[in-house]
Amino acid sequence: MALEDKVGKLSDIKGIIKDGDKVAIGGAWLGNHPMAIIREIVRSNIRNLTAITVVGSIDIDLLIGAGCLSRLMFSFVSMEAFGLAPNFRRAVEKEGFQCDELTGLAIVIGLEAGGRNIPFLPYRGPFGSDLVKHRPEYYKYVRCPFSGEELIAAAAIVPDVGIIHAPRADRAGNVQMDGTSGTDVEIMRAAKKRIVSVEEIVTDEEIRRHPQKTKIPKFQVDLVIEAPLGAHPCSCAPHYVFDAWHIMTYMQKAANPETFKEYLEEFVMKPEFEYLEAIGGMRKAAILKRLAREVTFL
Amino acid sequence: MKRYSEDYTVGELMCVALAKEIEDGDVVVLGSFTPLAYASYILAKITHAPNITLLAYSSVDSRPFQLSFLRAEAAATRGAALLWTMLEDLSSVHLKGRGDVEAISSIQADQYGNINLSVLGGFDKPKLRGPGGAGAPEVIKMHRKMIGYFPNHSKMTFVPKVDVITGTRYLIGAEERIKSGYRPGPIKYITNLAIMVKTEAERPFKLESLHPGVRAEQVIENTGFELEVPREIPETERPTPEQVRLLRERVDPYRTIEFDFRPGKERLRYLGELLQKELESIGYG
Repeated sequence: MALEDKVGKLSDIKGIIKDGDKVAIGGAWLGNHPMAIIREIVRSNIRNLTAITVVGSIDIDLLIGAGCLSRLMFSFVSMEAFGLAPNFRRAVEKEGFQCDELTGLAIVIGLEAGGRNIPFLPYRGPFGSDLVKHRPEYYKYVRCPFSGEELIAAAAIVPDVGIIHAPRADRAGNVQMDGTSGTDVEIMRAAKKRIVSVEEIVTDEEIRRHPQKTKIPKFQVDLVIEAPLGAHPCSCAPHYVFDAWHIMTYMQKAANPETFKEYLEEFVMKPEFEYLEAIGGMRKAAILKRLAREVTFL
Repeated sequence: MKRYSEDYTVGELMCVALAKEIEDGDVVVLGSFTPLAYASYILAKITHAPNITLLAYSSVDSRPFQLSFLRAEAAATRGAALLWTMLEDLSSVHLKGRGDVEAISSIQADQYGNINLSVLGGFDKPKLRGPGGAGAPEVIKMHRKMIGYFPNHSKMTFVPKVDVITGTRYLIGAEERIKSGYRPGPIKYITNLAIMVKTEAERPFKLESLHPGVRAEQVIENTGFELEVPREIPETERPTPEQVRLLRERVDPYRTIEFDFRPGKERLRYLGELLQKELESIGYG
């Protein structure tokens, strides 16, 4: 038997992500979102997706602006210091875009329940929060069968597809992480199908040199895609920082729907290698990587 | 006698006030990138609280690092003793009740210890769609202290009742908290005008201290709910020259903490300048 090889191209995501799927997106804040896969979803015109994110930013905003989402489950979507997410705001405030706002822990615990193949997990949840009343399909009050204490049950979340970005994997799909992992591990355990993009595909000897860095085993991965700078304009800590200059361009372009179309034409609706040229090529990559190396401790 | 600085910004004053809330040995969670809060924790760690555990992004027990707009995450990661998934983090810290401080901010905050990071108006077609609460709704309940910081103390923020309760302290009094498995601690709001504190559900927020040059009336006028105003209100302790020096020279040389205090349009220009300085620091630009 030949050894399994899950390496494919970005365009292979079409074989896994289907219109109408629930897609959980890895990364957190402006860190490590699988942006090359996100751009490929837009290029491939995959529609009516439900995105699931704990702490999203430009990943979610781009998908909403490009019209790929029909629903969103989230606890936070923001461009952080750059401001609120413009497409997300516009969609909710002006277009009645439907979203399920949950507390962060309910989504993480819900994913964990999905990963354990059970319908819910109880915790000392957000009593008193209006989010519990707003989305009762995801929260229920339950009593501890031992002590009688009242707890909150978070409903299991089982995404159709999980997508994450990581520094490296081998061809079989053993994935290593060096920095911000958000809920990537929980997503990959819970999802029915899983795609990982990596900075670099390495040999299995290389993976076995540092097994403690391997956070996702190959049986939780269906497709591995090599995508250098694949989190850009987000960071892939500690290898490169987020591209604040590009995010400022994004914020300007996303300020209204007309200029946002220009953004999509200029940066997204072209092959990924042209994207990397458009954002500043090797010079920009070198700057972002150097910034991530040159940190000062006190 | 302690000597105080005459030369400080309100951001630096708030930063020092927040640092004072950190006790040695605390478990401190950095949360979303908020320069003022990050600078406070780092200042605390290199001064009075060297044994705190900093949790930032996926990193645990990060070494104290110099703050910058672009590099906080890389620095926290490179200085980590351990890297956690989000579930490991929240199981060990939040759910276990081991978190001490994770300062939050919000669009609205009310007299009951509720915060709103969700929407202004209602959930359907809101006037403003905010970012959402992330961990905040559970952080403010589970951690020992609930600390909020607000760079713009106004009636827009401090309302009688929030439009939507994204999260709430829920249990406020010490006895109630202990009974339900939480450690007791105050709700404390550090603003650009004053510090307000609440320790019991039935009593209003108390004006704990006024920043230098601020009158009690100013705070009352800019707060949308009743405050307990003691006859004698202490002045908020000003930063010492050493604290100001540490902030400007070591912790935050790019002055990222001033970012929150720039009005909307000026922010982008300030950010542009700041990024330029960071580029120059690595020999570009």
